[in-house]
Amino acid sequence: MFRTDMLTVALWVSLAAAFSLWLADGGFSTISNPTQAITAVGILAGLAGMDLVLLMLLLAARLPFVDGAVGHDRALEFHRKLGKPALYLLLVHGIFIAIGYGMAEGLNPVSEAIALWVLVPDMWLAFVAMALFIAVVVTSLVAVRRRFPYEFWYVIHLLTYVAVGTAIPHQFSVGGLFADGTWQRWYWLLLCIATGSALAWFRVAQPVMATFRHQLTVRRVVRVAPDVVSVEMSGLRLNELSGTGGRFFVWRFLAPGMWWQAHPYSLSAEPHVVPSVPGRHPRQEVLRITVRNLGKGSARLASLKPGTKVAIEGPYGVFSTAARSRKRIVMIGAGIGITPLRALLESTPFAPGQATVLLRGRNEEELFLNDEILELCRKRGVTLFHLIGPRSPLPGSEWLPASAAHTTLQDYAPDIADADVYICGPSAWAREVIAEAKGSGVREEQLHYERFDW
Amino acid sequence: MRIRAGISSALASAAILLVGWQAGTHVSDSNASAVTTSSSTGTIGGSSAGSAGTGTTSDATTGTSSGSSSGTTTGSGSSSSSGTGASAKAGASAKAGGTYTGTSVETRFGTVQVQVTVKGGVITDVTALHLTDEEQRSVQISNRAAPLLRSEVLSAQSANVQTIGGATITSDAYLTSLQAALDAANF
Repeated sequence: MFRTDMLTVALWVSLAAAFSLWLADGGFSTISNPTQAITAVGILAGLAGMDLVLLMLLLAARLPFVDGAVGHDRALEFHRKLGKPALYLLLVHGIFIAIGYGMAEGLNPVSEAIALWVLVPDMWLAFVAMALFIAVVVTSLVAVRRRFPYEFWYVIHLLTYVAVGTAIPHQFSVGGLFADGTWQRWYWLLLCIATGSALAWFRVAQPVMATFRHQLTVRRVVRVAPDVVSVEMSGLRLNELSGTGGRFFVWRFLAPGMWWQAHPYSLSAEPHVVPSVPGRHPRQEVLRITVRNLGKGSARLASLKPGTKVAIEGPYGVFSTAARSRKRIVMIGAGIGITPLRALLESTPFAPGQATVLLRGRNEEELFLNDEILELCRKRGVTLFHLIGPRSPLPGSEWLPASAAHTTLQDYAPDIADADVYICGPSAWAREVIAEAKGSGVREEQLHYERFDW
Repeated sequence: MRIRAGISSALASAAILLVGWQAGTHVSDSNASAVTTSSSTGTIGGSSAGSAGTGTTSDATTGTSSGSSSGTTTGSGSSSSSGTGASAKAGASAKAGGTYTGTSVETRFGTVQVQVTVKGGVITDVTALHLTDEEQRSVQISNRAAPLLRSEVLSAQSANVQTIGGATITSDAYLTSLQAALDAANF
């Protein structure tokens, strides 16, 4: 919680600092007429907008500090929330600068914009950046995104880097605030370089190193249910792969037509050793993911050939033993969200009788990996509940099946107030479970929740 | 928890803004003092500028009569020296065209001097020989303003154009130097 607060403070401070750059440059004293006021608004909006863009990049950079404090999924949720404000600020920046400069020169904003585009070095890049930012935010909006496949959205999103890249030159060459020799220039430069380095290290260098270190290869693909497949992969040093950290990785299967798509999935089985079978295969270290057919990309997983190389990013997420704060544990999963619980159930420490597992599905077939989970529960002394059936119509208990509408979380796990609660499933469902858990006295630091839809 | 984060954010942000604002008033104070110093040295700048003054085709190297220092009132600190005195004699042959150099104008950000090319009574080109370059920061302001000014001048066919937003001092000096060059060309 302390770290979450720190992040909140850091966010506001970075915005205040952006304004301060301008204030410290005597910005306030330059305003003596409406033209200058409009220009000043434009400049400030630009500073704040770029600051938000950099924050968005940092939130998506998988910084261990950020992901550890708020969780990868919540960091990304926040990243999404900043998208629109950032775009609005950048639009205000462009429009007000065009108006302000235009008024000073007796031009209308459009002519001024054209003049800037044509005549001032680096300004055409800034216009390109603006167009790209608009494209990225519009395609990221949920409503629009639904109409496109995930892969299309993903490629568009990569354009963010181009957008930021093309937006930077004019800030330093045209923006008087960041002129050579000012400390403001150094501050801004440092901010940009730090963000760039964080992205390069955590999103490129580390994944590449992990990929080479663990040499993951598809071992076999097993159909678990009509639209669910498990992908087993063998590799090296897999026990070092995740440790007590998160169990969620971004996978890239290096097969023709698939290598450029990255898919986020959690482990559905801890790394384990398969003893050698003479004449068949040597001793292998194996891990597994279980995937429901959600999009075109995941549909193709079923056709993966054994031997396909796999690149990984991770581990990410708060679904880990490292996040534990209590001795008792309650795990609640729905649908395909059950599968990460299976891995956690296997590895996280607890004594017999200290763990409770609740599995929710519309029917028996939706309790994926049920046999394995049942086996693990027997072995480790876990109380297991199956919540099967159509959704309850009662408000507040919609996370339950209709047949159990009048039960509460405490009926299943009486000690829940003194337990770590792991929740994994669709976000609307999870919100209700979280609300009920909080109502049962579960504090924020005991709640570990991972979204299971992108 | 939320409240704690909110309060600390507000306090920290306010502190940073206050520091920025304080630094800002300090900057504008020192700017104000810079204006007074530059105006006192203005006459020196003016006289030296006058000698550099007029055009390449002109033989009026004696045009030292310029050097009126202004700029104290505008607060821009520009001590512009107009080359009007020198240009009068240079004129008559200018209709044929040629290249004319304007006076060099001192501003608090550095010297500005432009060269104009006139052909058949039309301004065909404006070249900046020297632009504001002090404090490094002015370089960028110049880089932005110069192409805009050049284009405005070429389309207006005179030095009577608007200054560039955010580059007022550079623009004023640019246009002053240009006017001197145009005067020298008897344009």
